[in-house]
Amino acid sequence: MGLIMISRRKALRAGAGLAAAATIGAPAILHAETKTLKITTWGGKWGDIMKDTLLPMFEKEHDCKVSADQAFPFLPKLQASSKNDPLYDVFHTNSNEQWSAVEQGLVLDKITAKEVPNIADVYPWANSDKIVGVAIFTSAIGLGYRTDKGITPPKSWKDLADPKLAGARGGYLIPVNSLGQCHLMMLGKVYGKGLQDLDAAYKALEQLKPIKLVDFTGQMEKMLLSGEVSEGVIHDSGVYRYEGANRQPVDFCSPTEGVMALEQVLNVTPGSKVKELAFAFVNFMLRPEVQKLLAEGVWYSPANKKVKLDAKYDAKLLTTPEKVATLIQPDWKWYNARKDDIDARVTKILKG
Amino acid sequence: MTSASIKLESVTKSFDGKVVAVDGVTLEIKAGEFFSLLGPSGCGKTTSLRMIAGFESPDSGRVHVGGQDITDVPVHHRDMGMVFQSYALFPHRTVAENVAFGLRMRGVSRSEIDRRVAAALAQVALTGFEHRRPAQLSGGQQQRVALARAIVIEPRVLLCDEPLGALDRKLRQQMQFELKELQQRLGVTLVFVTHDQEEALAMSDRIAVMNRGKVEQVGSPTEIYERPRTRFVADFIGEINLLDDGSKPRALRPEKIRLVPTAQARLAGTVETANFLGGATLYRVSAGGRTYLARETHSGERSPRAAGDAVGLAWNDTDIVTLES
Amino acid sequence: MSAAVNKKPFDLGRTAYLGLNLVLLAFLLVPIAIVLVFALNPTPYISFPPVGVSLRWFVKFFEGGDFMRALWLSLWVAACVLVLSVVIGGACALALARGNLPGRAFLTAFFMSPLMLPAILTGLALFQAYLLAGIGRPVWGLIMAHTLVAVPYVLRTTLAVLHNFDRRIEEAASVLGASPTRVFFEVTLPLIRPGVFAGGVFAFIVSFDQFPVSLFLVVPKGETLPVVLFNYMKFDLDGAIAAASMVSILLALAVVVALERLIGLKAYVKL
Repeated sequence: MGLIMISRRKALRAGAGLAAAATIGAPAILHAETKTLKITTWGGKWGDIMKDTLLPMFEKEHDCKVSADQAFPFLPKLQASSKNDPLYDVFHTNSNEQWSAVEQGLVLDKITAKEVPNIADVYPWANSDKIVGVAIFTSAIGLGYRTDKGITPPKSWKDLADPKLAGARGGYLIPVNSLGQCHLMMLGKVYGKGLQDLDAAYKALEQLKPIKLVDFTGQMEKMLLSGEVSEGVIHDSGVYRYEGANRQPVDFCSPTEGVMALEQVLNVTPGSKVKELAFAFVNFMLRPEVQKLLAEGVWYSPANKKVKLDAKYDAKLLTTPEKVATLIQPDWKWYNARKDDIDARVTKILKG
Repeated sequence: MTSASIKLESVTKSFDGKVVAVDGVTLEIKAGEFFSLLGPSGCGKTTSLRMIAGFESPDSGRVHVGGQDITDVPVHHRDMGMVFQSYALFPHRTVAENVAFGLRMRGVSRSEIDRRVAAALAQVALTGFEHRRPAQLSGGQQQRVALARAIVIEPRVLLCDEPLGALDRKLRQQMQFELKELQQRLGVTLVFVTHDQEEALAMSDRIAVMNRGKVEQVGSPTEIYERPRTRFVADFIGEINLLDDGSKPRALRPEKIRLVPTAQARLAGTVETANFLGGATLYRVSAGGRTYLARETHSGERSPRAAGDAVGLAWNDTDIVTLES
Repeated sequence: MSAAVNKKPFDLGRTAYLGLNLVLLAFLLVPIAIVLVFALNPTPYISFPPVGVSLRWFVKFFEGGDFMRALWLSLWVAACVLVLSVVIGGACALALARGNLPGRAFLTAFFMSPLMLPAILTGLALFQAYLLAGIGRPVWGLIMAHTLVAVPYVLRTTLAVLHNFDRRIEEAASVLGASPTRVFFEVTLPLIRPGVFAGGVFAFIVSFDQFPVSLFLVVPKGETLPVVLFNYMKFDLDGAIAAASMVSILLALAVVVALERLIGLKAYVKL
């Protein structure tokens, strides 16, 4: 297979060279000895692991360079670049942006085990019909809470509406934060007929006022740590990753109604000039040892079923079919289609 | 210092193709002369000066200096000194650097510059101010620096554009003396633009009175004052009684009218107002259906008259000037 | 007698004026004070009252390779922008004020227009233009983009100085024998320099703090400090951000003070 790949790569390169010779400004491609894979990736601890360990490893394995963009906003940059020569080969974002991207034809619909063999080993959620591309990790969106403020540990999403939490509960600016968007859908399910029952969700949202709103997830983490918020919507990683030196009395609750999935999704751009390499990268990211390193680094639940995490992580992350069954995946295609209306409505509700 | 004559030959200049600022002016200024261009604002005196300096080039006519046609010589090759109303000192340079500027442009040696700057500052009594900046000087001192800066290059011609206009009255008179004295000492040809007739009369060897871009009259201060040729000149210089009773307009200076007992008078009238001027009193007297201005100098006993007093007016016919119509 | 004169009655207007100034000062300085508290606070979140004083975030900032690379890049870009915008903005201002150009009002508006456009659009438009032209996103492209939004500041301050410029001063120089070129270098340039450099200081700061224009124009491993900070904030909202902000503020201040000292903007306040 390696042989075939090399010959195909050569063919691709030759093709690209011919095409380049016919156009202006292409000598850069002709002279490129090593290929460059352009990806987006997160910053923070994740970014450190990528830059320090995983990207060098991948570069060595594939004799290539990886240019990792950590500067937001990824989607507008991809949009602005040419589809035939996209700014990124591998597009890493949360699921909601992947859906926007696929509708504009910026990324592939689906990646299968044919292109990425490791997909054969992923949990169903990682390439379900709610996912474009393939998910490599997920977080569980639930409730984070202080254990030192005398509040009853929450069990249900409804517990966030406890009048005692007035002004001490935390949520998001829904138009800009996908955790806030997930929360809104969850309100529809908990208080109404289902995830898409927006009327019930709006009504429930109204009941959560007064509520402290943030735009970054990191801000919610800090507000819980500093005690500014006693209970708030957050992903499990945002609580668990602070164990250790700065341990604060904060815990995470997976509500009985289920947790919302915050998937880390990889996808490949159709116009990529190094598609083979792009798929290889996705495959690499699904490799059990890579998955384990990142999962334990940032407390994300891995997509690959074969990953064996250390006991500490295994206990808290979604690593068994039973635990995975509590994961609810939002329908972003449905949500994105209504986003403008929803934004207008929630802004009005939360303004007061 | 060598001085040069200046000649304007039918010089015309208009701006934006419409307003004629200077209209066919011909003037001859002698070498070493203190020559004033006098007139109201907009009369073309400043434009004439700027054409001599080279800031404006005439639409037609020629400018000669020292017998040479310099109409097409650029400003920086004309070798003239100029003093501006706003002083136009270089605010970022010291007094000494300001004065040295023209010498530096001429490539004069360092030691020579120092010597001549010191001499020029001594001429204007500013020794010791070398290292001040213009902003640290009074208006009069700034004007002296401007003068020193202009004369240090030993120009053939010194051009002054209302140089004393920004000074208060007292300082202005003092500077008038100093400037006149300096000009005589240096023997330089000085062209002086002013709208102040007293200043022009006090300082000039000759004056050109300008109006609407044209020269109305050229002459010595006495000629201009005593024998104004046109109604404009008569009116512009000092106070005047215009007597429009004959075929030609005639003029009579207020000081030529004597206030006498009504019995000896040519005309009997009544004092309307009496303005005390210190050394004299200016009366407005209504007589014969019009108003006369009469100036009475206070020599010896003052015989004050008040408004409402009956007075007689008398004058000599030889004092009446007949003007060109 | 003097006691009676000096004992001023209570002046409401004066007191209100003083009060307003104090409020404005507080409004400007309190946020910086909060940033400082956060920067010195040992916990990775704002705890109030502070639980201690620590320089760990400054250490993290100065030891962070990404931060340092971004800081140097930002300084380098800002320095280039300073020079370019001073040259371009100064020349433009002179041409506009002196050139007797047809359509001067239009040209002025045109050069000022980068200020009217939301900077994020300028960044996006340039990003697309660069990609379309196939030049990628080189550092000089970023410098050009910053210069584009910085030039109006230099233009404004220089035009203001030129507006109050007594042209007789230049005439005085030329009548004293200075050729037009010498007039420019001996008189015009020194006199408009305070305006040009005041604009240059703005240009430096506009570039150094520039976020929206940079957003699309930086490349991986070539991000400017504001972009790095913004992205850092999304994942690690800790005191390193505050430490970086303090360093930025101090650096910007240092540059302004240094330029002031070097050029002595005060020397010719009176023109």
